[in-house]
Amino acid sequence: MNETTHRSIAAVSALLLLALVVVWAIESQRAQPVGLTPTLTGEVEYCQTCHVGLPEISPSHPVDAFGCVVCHGGERLALEADLAHSTMRGGSNPSDLSVVEQSCGGSECHSGSAADANDHIQRVMTSIQATYAGAIANIRYTFGAQADLVAHQGIFAVMDDQITTTTGVPALEAFDPASDANPYIHQFGDNCLGCHLSAEPPEGEAFARLTGCAACHTPDINRFPEGQIHQLTTAIPYTQCNTCHNRGNYDLRSMEFVERTDEPLDRLHDYYQPIAQFTQCEWTLDCIDCHTPEEAMGNGDIHSNQHEVVYTQCQTCHGTLDELPLTQTIVSEDDLALRLAFLNPVTELNVGDTILITEQGEPLWNTRVLPDGTYEMVGKATGEVFSFRPVMGTQCEQDVTEQRSYYCHECHAVER
Amino acid sequence: MSRPNFFHHLHPPTIPAKQARWRYTLGAGGIAVFLVLVLAVTGALEMFYYVPTPDEAALSIQTISYHVPLGGLVRNIHFWAAQFLMIVMTVHLIRVVFTGAYRLPRRFNYLLGLALFVVAVLLNFTGYVLRWDQGVQWALVVGTNLIKTIPGIGDTLYQIVAGGAQPGPPTLTRFYAWHVFGLGLVIVILMGWHAFRVRRDGGIAVPPPLERADSDRITRYELVRREVLAMLLTSAALVMMAVIAPAPIAPPITDLNASGSDTGAPWFFLWVQHLLNWGDPFVWGVLVPLAVLLVLALIPFVLPKPAESELGRWFPKSNRLARYLLAVVALFILVLTLLAVVPQ
Repeated sequence: MNETTHRSIAAVSALLLLALVVVWAIESQRAQPVGLTPTLTGEVEYCQTCHVGLPEISPSHPVDAFGCVVCHGGERLALEADLAHSTMRGGSNPSDLSVVEQSCGGSECHSGSAADANDHIQRVMTSIQATYAGAIANIRYTFGAQADLVAHQGIFAVMDDQITTTTGVPALEAFDPASDANPYIHQFGDNCLGCHLSAEPPEGEAFARLTGCAACHTPDINRFPEGQIHQLTTAIPYTQCNTCHNRGNYDLRSMEFVERTDEPLDRLHDYYQPIAQFTQCEWTLDCIDCHTPEEAMGNGDIHSNQHEVVYTQCQTCHGTLDELPLTQTIVSEDDLALRLAFLNPVTELNVGDTILITEQGEPLWNTRVLPDGTYEMVGKATGEVFSFRPVMGTQCEQDVTEQRSYYCHECHAVER
Repeated sequence: MSRPNFFHHLHPPTIPAKQARWRYTLGAGGIAVFLVLVLAVTGALEMFYYVPTPDEAALSIQTISYHVPLGGLVRNIHFWAAQFLMIVMTVHLIRVVFTGAYRLPRRFNYLLGLALFVVAVLLNFTGYVLRWDQGVQWALVVGTNLIKTIPGIGDTLYQIVAGGAQPGPPTLTRFYAWHVFGLGLVIVILMGWHAFRVRRDGGIAVPPPLERADSDRITRYELVRREVLAMLLTSAALVMMAVIAPAPIAPPITDLNASGSDTGAPWFFLWVQHLLNWGDPFVWGVLVPLAVLLVLALIPFVLPKPAESELGRWFPKSNRLARYLLAVVALFILVLTLLAVVPQ
């Protein structure tokens, strides 16, 4: 009996020792935690234990200041992927509009005041690209679901308590195609809601983009290796705009999206789809070289149609026979133009420089008025320098009261 | 032979060999004591890092799990020792009923044992809630709300348990105090009393000397060796489970009122969780579990007494009814637990 007990004790001791050796082996295999204490939060986070070598998202969000958690959420102390990722905002994309306020908002960040032009989130949430209110209003009007072309519904319900334009709408209800009796509106809901900022893009490389802010500010996601998409930039090439725009047309009879069938091989053919008319500058520049932040991201009001927000025309930069384009000389270090140029330093802009501004006062910070009265523009996405002249003093015969771009296209359109 | 040391002196010089047969006792009572000791030591270690505030609790557990050297191991062992304790106590209860050992003079100690079981369940539940993460949110809210359903005293009792009209910071403080101090003290006192009563009642139940077929005795040295063996086996099992299956962990609770948490009760309360689907929470969530406890407590008092000569072995003919009764109760709890686990 004693012998048996002794032997059992020896055997079980060996077993326990083995178990402890296994514990030791597992502990010693574990990666050394890599902590980071961002200056903005002061709370240590261990994301970089696994996330090694990820490029910094942008020069204005340095990881030493921001860390990861302030934008992405997640469990900063956890060293297991499941737990660490369990509370991340918006999955891998914290800029998705469903979580953007928590991720990118806050009065110190992108929910700041309109006066400082830091109200990005309020503007985007009410913008036509997020609400898709124009398309929805048009379809609902066409199929008898509403009596006018004013926006009543959007992708999500949204309110605007400070209307600053004549076309602003106070609020939108959430558009629910399923609740509408008309089968076309159902089909519109099924087939035609792939291009707003909250929509997952349709399949195909040409459509590949993220949602929310990253839909535009994280361009060309195809170039990143799997799981390594980590960039925010204001240098947005036209190809990013083209993940939604110029991809094809909606067929209102079948109520489906018909993808463009040409296979463009160069920039000229890639830029617009075949039926479009455009001038040389429209395809050699990038969309954002002319179209302004307020046009793309909204001006803070809820609008019923794209035409209520998009206002840049040829004359914005070129003026008319009678008038030169508007200009402004930068007088303050805090000028919006300088801040925008700082975010995308393709050109060195300084106090004292004179730039063009739009009819609504938005700075075209990538332009410069040269001493000889001509102008220069630096491509925001390419850094390429373009020179151009005002219309005044040229042979142009266009009536000064008829200055929409399509009049200019009559003479200046590019043949392809 | 060397002189008996302190641990040997905790045992009688010799005991009937039958009282220490694995196949009779299963070592369950002794292993339970060891598990409580393990829980006390690992729990004390956790106290060096655990922060009992709603904002910090779950984060401090993440710190223990991932950043304190061997903290994960200590926490996992604490967790598994608590789960083993539930199982071992149940096995101990089944052994006592299935061998008729609860018979006089051990009737009172049987009740002490049941009380220990209840205290251990409460310790386990309070410990579970101390995680204060989304994994325990349902159990915390639903479990404490059950108290409110008790007619008359429900609201007052809830105030006492939760420290307010709803779960909040005082709830965590109270659960922490109960877990570490209140219930900890109670279980130590009851354990001492239970062990004392084992000695007072003549050791583990065997027939009286004249009716014993087997007159072998073992020394305290052999007894202690067997206890060491049981402790080593249990330790190995704990370390292995700690490595294979780490204790559950979840993100901190952000909103106690948020519903839609898909986790439920801890496993030993799953049967109660399923009962709650059947109707009135007071009847199914409070009265039925109390009735189960009452049925168990009444076994030595109302059922036919097991024969003294049949003690010390399994399935004595004289207490068949008690065995059937316990089997029915166990089956009832088992089936309900399975029903709670199987997706509806």
